[in-house]
Amino acid sequence: MDDKTVRTIFYLSRLREDKNKSEKIKNDLKAILEMVNSLKEIDTDKILPLHNPLEETSRVFEDAVNSDNEKSLFLENAPESDGDYFIVPKVVE
Amino acid sequence: MKWETVIGLEAHVQLSTETKLFSRASTTFGDEANTNVNLVDCGLPGVLPTVNKNAFYKAIRFGLAIDASINKVSIFDRKNYFYPDLPKGYQITQMEKPILEGGSIEINIDGIKRKINITRAHLEEDAGKSIHEGFKGTGIDLNRSGTPLLEIVSEPEIRSSQEAVAYMKELHKIVTFLDVSDGEMSQGSLRCDANVSIRLKGETALGTRTEIKNINSFKFIEKAIEYEVKRQIAVLESKKKVEQETRLYDSVKNETRPMRSKEFANDYRYFPEPDLLPVVITDKEIDDIKKHFPEMPKEKSIRYVQKFGINESESSIISNSKNLANFFEDCIEIVNDKTLLAKILVGDISSLLNKDAKEITDTNFTPENISQLINLISDGTISGKIAKDVLEQIRSKNIDPIEYIKAQGLVQISDEDAIEKIILEILAKNSEQVKAYNNGKDKLFGFFVGQVMKATQGKANPKSVNLILKKALSNEHT
Amino acid sequence: MTIQFLTISELKDLIKKKKISYEELIDETFQLIKKYSSINSFITLNQKQALINAKKLDKNNLQTNLTGIPIAQKDLFCTKGLKTTCGSKMLSNFVPPYDATVVSKLNDAGSICIGKTNMDEFAMGSSNETSFYGNVHNPWKFGYVPGGSSGGSAAAVAAGLVPAATGTDTGGSIRQPAALCGLTGIKPTYGRVSRWGMIAFASSLDQGGPICRNAEDCALLLDAMSGYDEKDTTSLKLDSTKIHNNINESLEHLNIGIVNEFKQNDLSADSQKLFSNAISEFESLGAKISEISLPNIAQSVPTYYVVAPAECSSNLSRYDGVKYGHRSSNADDLESLYVNSRSEGFGEEVKRRILIGTYVLSSGYYDAYYKKAQQVRRLIKNDFGNAFNEVDVILTPTSPSQAFEFDSKGKQDPTELYLEDLYTISANLAGLPALSMPNGSINGLPVGIQLIGNYLEEEKILKLGHHFQKETDHHLKKPSLEEFA
Repeated sequence: MDDKTVRTIFYLSRLREDKNKSEKIKNDLKAILEMVNSLKEIDTDKILPLHNPLEETSRVFEDAVNSDNEKSLFLENAPESDGDYFIVPKVVE
Repeated sequence: MKWETVIGLEAHVQLSTETKLFSRASTTFGDEANTNVNLVDCGLPGVLPTVNKNAFYKAIRFGLAIDASINKVSIFDRKNYFYPDLPKGYQITQMEKPILEGGSIEINIDGIKRKINITRAHLEEDAGKSIHEGFKGTGIDLNRSGTPLLEIVSEPEIRSSQEAVAYMKELHKIVTFLDVSDGEMSQGSLRCDANVSIRLKGETALGTRTEIKNINSFKFIEKAIEYEVKRQIAVLESKKKVEQETRLYDSVKNETRPMRSKEFANDYRYFPEPDLLPVVITDKEIDDIKKHFPEMPKEKSIRYVQKFGINESESSIISNSKNLANFFEDCIEIVNDKTLLAKILVGDISSLLNKDAKEITDTNFTPENISQLINLISDGTISGKIAKDVLEQIRSKNIDPIEYIKAQGLVQISDEDAIEKIILEILAKNSEQVKAYNNGKDKLFGFFVGQVMKATQGKANPKSVNLILKKALSNEHT
Repeated sequence: MTIQFLTISELKDLIKKKKISYEELIDETFQLIKKYSSINSFITLNQKQALINAKKLDKNNLQTNLTGIPIAQKDLFCTKGLKTTCGSKMLSNFVPPYDATVVSKLNDAGSICIGKTNMDEFAMGSSNETSFYGNVHNPWKFGYVPGGSSGGSAAAVAAGLVPAATGTDTGGSIRQPAALCGLTGIKPTYGRVSRWGMIAFASSLDQGGPICRNAEDCALLLDAMSGYDEKDTTSLKLDSTKIHNNINESLEHLNIGIVNEFKQNDLSADSQKLFSNAISEFESLGAKISEISLPNIAQSVPTYYVVAPAECSSNLSRYDGVKYGHRSSNADDLESLYVNSRSEGFGEEVKRRILIGTYVLSSGYYDAYYKKAQQVRRLIKNDFGNAFNEVDVILTPTSPSQAFEFDSKGKQDPTELYLEDLYTISANLAGLPALSMPNGSINGLPVGIQLIGNYLEEEKILKLGHHFQKETDHHLKKPSLEEFA
């Protein structure tokens, strides 16, 4: 994995790249990718990917309101709130 | 003009379901912040999505109306990105297998009809809202989070800003008539992003396109596209290249501006949503939807003409507005003169609506009070002129027509003897004009009519006035 | 102590015979927990509420299967009003406003939630060494791992502090700690137990299940935990299992498969011997032993380490410091809010898996990794399908090794720990039910065997396990706990 790729996946994951741990993380990721590389050898021609192990189909639900507002409950867990709103640092479009 | 405009529109239609796409919280617009949010919409740890079948039915109805093909097995995918109004850090959408593919929307510009083809339409959940004003920071309201959206992507076949507006207006008509959405651009139930590019006439390859966002009215669609087309032409004519970018439309300055560019492009890492299973729609369900298909404007118009005998042009106008059509149908039961109803709806009432920029449902006009008014005119109780006044009183003061007419003494004078008496008085007072009229000044007829109306405070029955006045004047002549 | 190491039925007996009240039972439980707190099996205790509930039960004098039975909940299940951390700093202050379905079902069945058990952070680990709240000790030996990620649950039951605990299993996180601690644990068929309120790691692999002292108690708990939940779309539309009542029924002679491809693995001579003993034991119970082939089984670990990180990288995106959880004090702008909160809140293993997950889903790599892995996953599922045409149940060791010392594996190379899940992972990939139970010990450290059943055949494997336990005594062994008192 080249440095640019590493930087990109850190960014997409919103994780900080720690300069001190840079070698270790690269080696760790390398080890994991080496382990999973054996998948390449397997012939999967015409095999459909399996997403849900039991391959069931969905149930769908009636369009009726059945939940109470729980605003106070989940605002309680908010790291920062103002009245009815969750607050984050100012977002610039 | 050596340049050709190429436009593709991405419309987001908010479906008018009671609850959200993946949770059973209410979708009511305008409530206090974070009141229509349950655990699922908030993306709490451990919560899971459940599918709203009505959202599918509405999407399918739309698909049937535009002749799209319906994918009977629907898969949802996750679109991963970070934004504070996206609580889970991913949006559940449909990437690989959208519910609808193909179909077309017909636009009509000055009588010329054209079909704009649809690439695809898919279901996805809406994000919440970020409020930048009034907070130390940005406030997040998740009421809208999870509301069902149908994203409709057109082929890049639109060739002008007028066509773009016509397309969106037609789309608005379809979704409101189908009860798929309330289509309110001002409330965000109908949103439009425009992909605009320019190429030399005759070229088949597409030029570099920009995506214009933040357009929230039909008027702004036209202005935003016109600005962008001009801008791109200027760029190309100065031998520079158009940047592929997303631009925001500023309605105050009437310009488009590039959005803040990011160092890393967003890689959405789509993959099938593991918390949901494929949704299967049966042929029977599609048939049921077909059976209960609401009447579309064209059929409605034909029915109005055939059943109620109103004229085609008025019928067409009424049937093209869901609100007017509903109003009309409510009045039809109680009104005696259906033609008069149509005439007044399309004429006086529509003028008042346009002046105030309101829908009929937002006014004091009700099927009850308007039908009453129509009946009062058609049975001769009041004159057409008085009726105009009564209409205005309903509009501004919400008066009851019958009470008002009584209180103001506006009942039409149809008594011919009374009218004759007044006419003779007026002719007597205005002998000069009578002479002039009888010498050829025909226009003075209107003067006499005016005098009669003045003397009767407009209550004289115009037909009777005309007849009696003519007779009286010719008597004078002799 | 009277109640330590007792099974659920033994406790029920004491209560029935009025030898102990519910209040006394709960009281003693907390005393035991305090005495053995050095094991570090609990993150949060529910002492006040548990005693209130116990007193109520004493008044009502109700007695159903689980009434008053103390149960520990893995700290991955949301418990209303009771802190739920997933073993992570990210959720160290999170108090859920709702109960997981598993929690409300067990509460409704009358059991008493004693507290939340320690675990590998966000269920990622096989040794309970990644918890923000410190390592859990294996009660059989101080300084040794109990297995993971449900290490705290296994340790609490193994030390006899509670008769039962809930766990979750994504790649072996119920079965492997059960094996390393000398206990019985079952991962049900995917969809059997609702995932509502079970904080997600890898959505298509996660399943909740019990860790108990024997198969009988596991059946009791599974009966209470399982059943259709409309709030979980992936939940199977089936009623709860009703296995416990039938557990003593005789089993027709079963055909047990031994996996050819696993013979290649380097099991120590001692481990081989114990496994052979188990085979003989099943033969004497009337089972027929056959060899079966699972040709793609060697790919289970690589497949898992693409699919699970991919799903977890997405599932953990919600931890952004906006609505709940850890928010960095260094958050002047949005990007800092995200990057600092997440970097401070997550431990190293979680970060590694998020990064790998992001990579295998990213544009350009999706087809080669994620799509490929899900294709191989189907091949693995198909292999099981073929095998179950020939045999009724598949028998394997649960784990390649017994408990090991803290910090002895995975420090240089994380994949070393990943191989602990060699035998267990394939059941998650295919969604099959699998049971682990004790099969002896090596150097005083327990060893387990695994029974993998066909879809929805929890009853078959629990019955078989129960019959095995009627003829053997491995599950009756207890650790001395001298190093902990």
